[in-house]
Amino acid sequence: MDFALTAEEQAFAEEVRAFLRAHPPAGFPHDGMDAGYGSGANSRAFLKALAARGWLAMCWPAEHGGQGRPMFWKLVLMEELARAGAPFGPLAGAWQTADAIIEYGSERLRREVLPAIGRGEATFWQGYSEPEAGSDLLALKTEARRDGEHYVIRGHKIWSSHAGIATYGLVFARTSREARRSQGFSMFVVPNGTAGMDIRPITSLTGEVYHYQVFLDDVRVPAELRLGPEGQGFVALLNGLDSDRFWGRFYKAPALERMLRRLVEHANATHVNGAPLARDPVVRRRLAAMATEIAALRALFTRAACLMRDGAPITYETAVAKICADETGQRFAKLGLELLGLHGLLRPGSADAPLDGELSQAYLTSLGHTIAGGTAEVLRTTVATRGLGLPAGKA
Amino acid sequence: MDVRPSAAQHLLASTAREYLRRHHPIETIQRPVGAPAARGAAFDDKLWRGMAELGWAGLLVPGEHGGSDGSLLDVVLLVEELGYAGVPGPFVTSAVAATTLLLAGASDAQRARLLPGLASGTRIATLAVVEESGRFAPEALTLEVTAGQLRGRKRFVKDAELATDLLVALRGGVAIVPADAGGITRVALDTLGDERLFDLTFDGVPVGDGDRIDGRAALAAAMSAGALARTAELVGAAQRVLEMAVEHARTRVQGGRPIGGHQAIQHACADMVRDVDASRELLHLAAWKTSEGLEAGPDVATAKAYAGEACLAVARRAHQIFGAISYCDEHPLHVFHERMLAASADFGDAALHLETVARAIGLEP
Repeated sequence: MDFALTAEEQAFAEEVRAFLRAHPPAGFPHDGMDAGYGSGANSRAFLKALAARGWLAMCWPAEHGGQGRPMFWKLVLMEELARAGAPFGPLAGAWQTADAIIEYGSERLRREVLPAIGRGEATFWQGYSEPEAGSDLLALKTEARRDGEHYVIRGHKIWSSHAGIATYGLVFARTSREARRSQGFSMFVVPNGTAGMDIRPITSLTGEVYHYQVFLDDVRVPAELRLGPEGQGFVALLNGLDSDRFWGRFYKAPALERMLRRLVEHANATHVNGAPLARDPVVRRRLAAMATEIAALRALFTRAACLMRDGAPITYETAVAKICADETGQRFAKLGLELLGLHGLLRPGSADAPLDGELSQAYLTSLGHTIAGGTAEVLRTTVATRGLGLPAGKA
Repeated sequence: MDVRPSAAQHLLASTAREYLRRHHPIETIQRPVGAPAARGAAFDDKLWRGMAELGWAGLLVPGEHGGSDGSLLDVVLLVEELGYAGVPGPFVTSAVAATTLLLAGASDAQRARLLPGLASGTRIATLAVVEESGRFAPEALTLEVTAGQLRGRKRFVKDAELATDLLVALRGGVAIVPADAGGITRVALDTLGDERLFDLTFDGVPVGDGDRIDGRAALAAAMSAGALARTAELVGAAQRVLEMAVEHARTRVQGGRPIGGHQAIQHACADMVRDVDASRELLHLAAWKTSEGLEAGPDVATAKAYAGEACLAVARRAHQIFGAISYCDEHPLHVFHERMLAASADFGDAALHLETVARAIGLEP
C-alpha cells in the first residue's frame, strides 16, 4: 500500500497550482451553468487555457500528439482544478471521447476531432436518453439508416447537457432492427449545426439552461463519423459506463472539501446568540461527521482509480462510488443550508448571500445527480447483481 | 498510489484467513441449541498459543526482543481477519495497544523485561484507562501514584483475569503493575457481548520508580493504535456479516424465489457494501499514514468514527435480511454485532473522535 503521490505527480500538482495562481479561475467567462458536479461551469476560455499548457492531450500516446503521461496525471489536474473551484465543466467528457477515438475511432475522427479536443475547441453532448428511454436505455427509438457512405439519423434525444453550446453530439442510435435487443446499436459523432439537427434548451429548476432536447430530422452523417464498429455500440457504451461513473464524479470529493472549508470559515466567523456557530456542539459534531463522509467518498474513488489504472476487473466499484458521491453531495447541501438559516435561501448574486449563494445552488443542482448517469436505484441493483451475485431479473 | 496490500501483506492476511477458518470455525461462535446463554467467551488457550507461534503476538515487537518488526499496517490487516473470524480475546489489548505503549515510552529495562514475553504470548498485558465517566478521556484522568502507592478504581478493563501485567493510565503517565499484585480487587462486569470486562480497584498497590512511564505520549500512541485495531475488528466483522447476509439473500426462498431477487433486499445489500468498503479504505489510509510516521491523528479519528457508525449499520441491516432466525441466541449474527458494539465504544467513541475531526477541519475550539 502506498497512498502518496509520486514526486512527479506532486511536482505536476504544484505546476497546476502555479497556473491557477497566475490565471485565477474567477477571471474566465462562463458559457454554461455549473451543474454542481464539482467540475464547475462550462468555460470555453478556461478549457483553451488548459489546452495551451498541453494538459488536454498530456495522457495520449505520442503518435496522437500527446506526451504519454500516466492516467493519474488527469486525476492530479482535476483534483487541483476542483479544489480551486475552476470552471472545467466539459473536460471529463472531452477526455473520454478522446480515449474512445484513440481506441477505436476512424482515421477521420483521429485527424479532425482528436486534435480539436487537444486544442480545447471540441466539446461533446451525450445523445443517449430519449423521452421514452430513460433508465431503460435499450427502449430508444432513434434510428441511423445506412445510405451509401452516410447514415441518416432520425429521432429525438433529451437531457443532453450543454448540447446547445457544444461542438459535437455523441448520438446513440439503432442501426439494425433485426439484431437482438442489446445488439444493433451504434455511436455517432455528429457535428453541431448539421442540417436537420434542431437543439432546443430546457430551463432547469435553477432558472438556467443546462439540458437540451435535440430533434434529429434525417440528419446525414458521414460513415467515418461512426465511433466504433457498427452494431457494437451498446457493448462499448456498457464498458464505458464504468469509467463514465468515475470520470463524471471523481471531482466531487475535492469540490465538497472546498465547500466544507467555506462552511467552516462561515461557522467560525458567524455569531449566534453571542457565540460563534463553530462552538455549538451540534454544529461541530455534524460538520465533523460530514467531513468523515467526504473522506469516505474520496477513499472509494481512490480505490476505483487504482483499479482502473491497473486494468483490474471492476464489477461494482465505480457504481458504489457514484452513488456515494451523489448522496453525500445532497446531504452536504442540506446540512449547509441548515447552518445558514434563512440566509441560505438567498440565490447566487444576492448582496449578502453567505458563500456567495453557492449552497442554495448546490442544493438544487444536487437533486439531478442521483438521476443523471444511472439513477441511484439502477446502480444499487447493479452493485447487488454484478458485484454481489444476487439474482438479476424483474422484481 | 496503490490501495492494495503488498504481496507480503496479502500472504499474511490469507494465511490468517485459512488458519482461523480451521482453528476458529463459525461453529465456535454459534452456540448450540439449548446451551445456557454464555456470558463472556471462554479463553481459547490453544488458539492463543497457535497465534503466538505464527508470530502474530510479536508482530509489532522489534527482532531484538523476539518479535518480527512488523508495522501497524500489517497488524491492522491481521486484526481484520480476527474480526472476520470472530476471534475473541486479548490480542488487540495486549499485542497491539499495550505493546505500542511500551514501544513508545518504556525504558530499556522495561522493554527487556516485558516485550519478549508479550511477543511469545506467554505474557498478556492489558490497559486500564477508563475511570468513572465510562469514557476514554485521557486529559481527565485522576489516578495517581502517591508515596509509591496506587489507589483508586479503573473501569471496563478488558481481559483483566488473563493479564499478567496491567498498564494503568495515570494523570501524568502510566504505571506498570503485575496483575497478581496484592491490593487489587477484580469485579467481573456483565456486559453485552462476550468480551470480558472488569472493574479493578487498587488499594495501596506499590509502584516503584522503575515501574513508571512518564508523560502522555506513550498512552496517546497506544490509544491511536488501539483505535486502529478496533476499527480493523469492526471492518473484518462487518465484511463477514455482509457475506453472511448476501449468502442468506441468495439462498433463502420465499414466494418461489430467493429474497435477494427483490430490489428492497438488493439495495440494502448495496448500501452494506458501501459501508464496509468505505470503512476499510479509511482504515487502511490511517494505518498506512501511521506506519509511515506521518501525522495521522485526524485520519485515525475519521476511520474510527466513520466505521463505528457504518459497520453497526451493516449489522442492523443484516438482522433485517436474516429475519427472525437472527433473533435466536444460537445464531452467530448477534455475537458479531455485540462485538462490533464493543469495538465502536472502545478506544474512543464517535463523539471523541469527531471532536478531533472538528478541530482538524478548522472549527475553532
